[in-house]
Amino acid sequence: MSLLDTPYDVEKFFDEMFGADGEVRPHYRRLAERLGTLPEADFHQHRTAVELAFLRRGVTFTVYNNSEGTERIFPFDLIPRIIPATEWKKIEAGLIQRITALNLFLHDIYHEQKILRDKVVPAAQILSARHFRREFMNFSVPRDIYVQICGTDLIRDDAGNYLVLEDNLRCPSGASYMIENRAAMRRAFPTLFQTYRVRPVETYADNLLKAFLHIAPPKSDKPNVVLLTPGVYNSAYFEHTFLARQMGIPIVEGRDLVVRDAHVFMRTTAGLVPVDVIYRRIDDDYLDPTVFRSDSLLGVPGLVGAYRAGNVALANAIGTGVADDKVIYAYLPQIIKYYLDQEPLLPNVNTYLASDPSQRKYILENIGRLVVKSANEAGGYGMLIGPAATKEEIAAFRAQVAAQPRNFIAQDPIMLSRSPTWCDGRLQGRHIDLRPYILCGAKTIVTPGGLTRVALRKGSLVVNSSQGGGSKDTWVLQGDE
Amino acid sequence: MLLRLLHRTTFVYAGKAHDSFNEVRLRPIDDATQSCRRYELRVEPAAQSRAYRDFYGNEVEYFDIAAGHSRLVVEAESEVSTVPDAERPPIPEASLADLAASPERELLAEFAVSCHYVPLDRDIWREAQDALAGGRSDVWGDVRRLGGHVHRTFAYRQNVTGVATRATDALKLRAGVCQDFAHVLLGMCRCLDIPARYVSGYFLNSHRRRGEDEASHAWIEAFVPGFGWAAYDPTHDRVADHRYVKVAVGRDYADIRPVSGTYRGAATRELKVTVRVREAAEPAVSA
Amino acid sequence: MPPAVKTPAFRPQATVMLSRVAHSLYWMSRYIERAENLARLLDVNLQFLLDFHGVSDASKKEEPWGSILASTGDEALFETLYKKADSRSVTEFLAFDARNPGSILSSIFAARENARMIRDQISSEMWQAINELYLFLKDRTAADVWAAGPSEFLNHIKLASHTFQGLTEATYQRNEGWEFIQFGKFLERADKTTRILDVKYHILLPSAVDVGGAVDTAQWQAVLRSASALEAYRRFYVREILPWKVAEFLIFSDSFPRSLHYCVAQVDEFLRRILGESATRPRTAAARASRRLLADLESLPIDEVLEEGLHEFLIEVQKSLDRIGDEVVQTTMFYPVESGSEEQQHQQQQ
Repeated sequence: MSLLDTPYDVEKFFDEMFGADGEVRPHYRRLAERLGTLPEADFHQHRTAVELAFLRRGVTFTVYNNSEGTERIFPFDLIPRIIPATEWKKIEAGLIQRITALNLFLHDIYHEQKILRDKVVPAAQILSARHFRREFMNFSVPRDIYVQICGTDLIRDDAGNYLVLEDNLRCPSGASYMIENRAAMRRAFPTLFQTYRVRPVETYADNLLKAFLHIAPPKSDKPNVVLLTPGVYNSAYFEHTFLARQMGIPIVEGRDLVVRDAHVFMRTTAGLVPVDVIYRRIDDDYLDPTVFRSDSLLGVPGLVGAYRAGNVALANAIGTGVADDKVIYAYLPQIIKYYLDQEPLLPNVNTYLASDPSQRKYILENIGRLVVKSANEAGGYGMLIGPAATKEEIAAFRAQVAAQPRNFIAQDPIMLSRSPTWCDGRLQGRHIDLRPYILCGAKTIVTPGGLTRVALRKGSLVVNSSQGGGSKDTWVLQGDE
Repeated sequence: MLLRLLHRTTFVYAGKAHDSFNEVRLRPIDDATQSCRRYELRVEPAAQSRAYRDFYGNEVEYFDIAAGHSRLVVEAESEVSTVPDAERPPIPEASLADLAASPERELLAEFAVSCHYVPLDRDIWREAQDALAGGRSDVWGDVRRLGGHVHRTFAYRQNVTGVATRATDALKLRAGVCQDFAHVLLGMCRCLDIPARYVSGYFLNSHRRRGEDEASHAWIEAFVPGFGWAAYDPTHDRVADHRYVKVAVGRDYADIRPVSGTYRGAATRELKVTVRVREAAEPAVSA
Repeated sequence: MPPAVKTPAFRPQATVMLSRVAHSLYWMSRYIERAENLARLLDVNLQFLLDFHGVSDASKKEEPWGSILASTGDEALFETLYKKADSRSVTEFLAFDARNPGSILSSIFAARENARMIRDQISSEMWQAINELYLFLKDRTAADVWAAGPSEFLNHIKLASHTFQGLTEATYQRNEGWEFIQFGKFLERADKTTRILDVKYHILLPSAVDVGGAVDTAQWQAVLRSASALEAYRRFYVREILPWKVAEFLIFSDSFPRSLHYCVAQVDEFLRRILGESATRPRTAAARASRRLLADLESLPIDEVLEEGLHEFLIEVQKSLDRIGDEVVQTTMFYPVESGSEEQQHQQQQ
């Protein structure tokens, strides 16, 4: 008895593996064949082995309540998500276009602000953005690249079209799971990798390091790159240590660094060692108590001064969060047009801005049918899914939107695509999204694949790890099958 | 007018401080109403300082002192020439409609919304309404009336507020120092949609008594369409004239801190600020 | 043909060691060694009590506790917290009292904190070992343990320490971190051995009648057992437990892993590796101090030590060890934390 023997209902959603008629899509055929001959018991064995391996290797994230951390494995589903080459080419082109425009946008916002003077984006939206960093105005950034690593979240609608849900330009996470998931799949299904030609993701760390080396201050011939972490108490600490090890760079906390005369050094047993590039996994607010939050103990006093003097480079740059903002997201098509004179290759989800009076009216009147998001909350909080919400929740959100329109957007709910996922003993459709990782160094590289996150609860659209999500390996094929 | 300024800040620590990182905004601005002829920053213990221009156009100098020290002295000395009152252009009458339609209005958005020290809440809004109970006039006229209102109904008193006092608290106390007067006036202007910004600097006190403590001063500038930033001092209920020297502008006090930083070590035992504003003889101008 | 997947090239491990990490490894190691030695000391002396259950002189029963306390150097603190030094109060003070920074509980808590700070540096087995010990201690109260039988408790501590050391040996890479771990361990062990020996000093000098008597011999036996050295001693010497032979063994043996000589030889070795001392002439103050101490332990005859006074000798050794530890910390931690207030971050503004 194999997993495919139980009936699978695609319902009205776009399913990654099965067409509307129930036929297996061409690029999933080989997988279907394999699953068809794999006894259920074997499949369970693979699952257990993978989970155990994750636990042992510490591929976890930590949930903290009263300072006692519970480590949880980010649940992993063994059915991969497969993307044929033709499809991926389009996604890749769209993402490269997007990040190119975003880097130009960031440069403009922090220099001449031409896009504001030309009134393409209302100045008020930028100036009131929570992550717009005035301290960063007129700063010159190495190679004019603001974003070295970006994680853009994509979804598919019921017709199978890819849409951009949001860009994550500050400290996008999850790449470590992408790499670990691939390693787990190779161990579990080695033969499948022989039948399919899957593009590798193992080059991620190499490319990431290259992107950092690209922005090192010119005078250092052997640049010292470090990863700056908030420390063991951060829920993504595993990823920090994982990436640092993969890249072969030291992992440091704020207190390990010291600034002397606008140069940054690491405190080592051999003395002060100069630091040239910092991959910082700390939010802007906590980076430097002299310039940002003065109560931050996680940062390095004087770091911004050293950055400003050109003696150290930060990846990603300060202030990239202004483009993270969900309100700015709504203007991305105009932004792409303004800087590149092109139409966006990857469309946005249709978005309504509460800050615009007529759109606000529409939102308030139709709030029960819409997905309402707070402009700056990450992790899926500060969000209302109208059709699934209670009367109280809707009322609360309506009040908030009316009180602080600048902070809210709304979108038509998208029927997210689904992927067969092992749940309760059989394959069932669960909603997924995709987060590819884009690296901007000498070249802009989109890692083939990325993290496919799956909402494990039936009917749920929320894929975040902290709210019941899991992940799948993502295979981008060399060809179309 | 040619003014000579001295601003000395001394921190004395209860022990030693080290790894001190500081930013200072002490260099007077150059603009249509004043030009800074001479400026020198001295730091003790000696430190190399670097400079940049911040978002509001203020010149910021930053330096760090790694070694242990028991006190830190930051001294700025400058000479500024201010444009005489007689030569300053008059401020035109502009209506609210002019303001809304002005091309710069969009970019000045942040000077018309809440910020840390000046949250625009109901109390401030009501205060602004009360002050202009007689009705709105032109932008500059309204600003002057609001300034006059603050001057009349607030008491200038030291030690009732602190450096962290926000406009809302000062409003409840109806007392404070120039920083509070400025914050309250800013709140009232902004509630009425008039973009306004905080100004820190000095003024020559012609009525200064011998030995009287001098200090930096705070006032505001409001945006008048067709003119630009027009300065008003609510503490003295007057237009900021050629006796005033601007050092920094921003949304509120947080944007203009003359000296701020972090360090490691012992707590600060004492903070002493010395300010001296004197008129200097104008150098002879060659024909 | 599937595309050739390049196996990720071996990445050179980051070769720098952060001062903070070195510091934590050093202290983690010291605290665990400290806890183990204390457990052994307490356990032996409890047994000693049992052995002499029949001794009629009540005051003799209480003596060991006072002297154990004296040897730790924490009597002043004890006196502020407890009224009388008896088996119960001293055990509580040394085993469970969180107010005593030198107690077994405090030591294990501190070891775990240090381990947690450098979690990614140690293997998960090492972390698990410390964490389990911490959880074990967290759930115990003095009364529970005392009731259940303190020996079992103390054995658990010893075993956990051995497990941890074994896991470290098996899983920790032989790099600079390893050197700090070993340096800390042997430094602490040397110090504790001096205190184990010194316990005997604090027992009132036996009157002529007592020397060589059953109690005296038993006390020296307890000293050996506290260092797990009884059997080794017997193999080395004849059956007789002679005080000067015990002292000689525990101070000068170069093959017994708890003796001073052995420990200091290890301290010297790892210190030189840490400080990069390769030439014959020591460059740093720490290496000089360590060399001098080692030279004494290699050459001094026991008679000279006893003539000068065993207690005085041991105190001098403790001072040397302190100095060596401090020097290494100063040199490698580059930015030594002198006190909490030195590192406190302040804001200043005007």
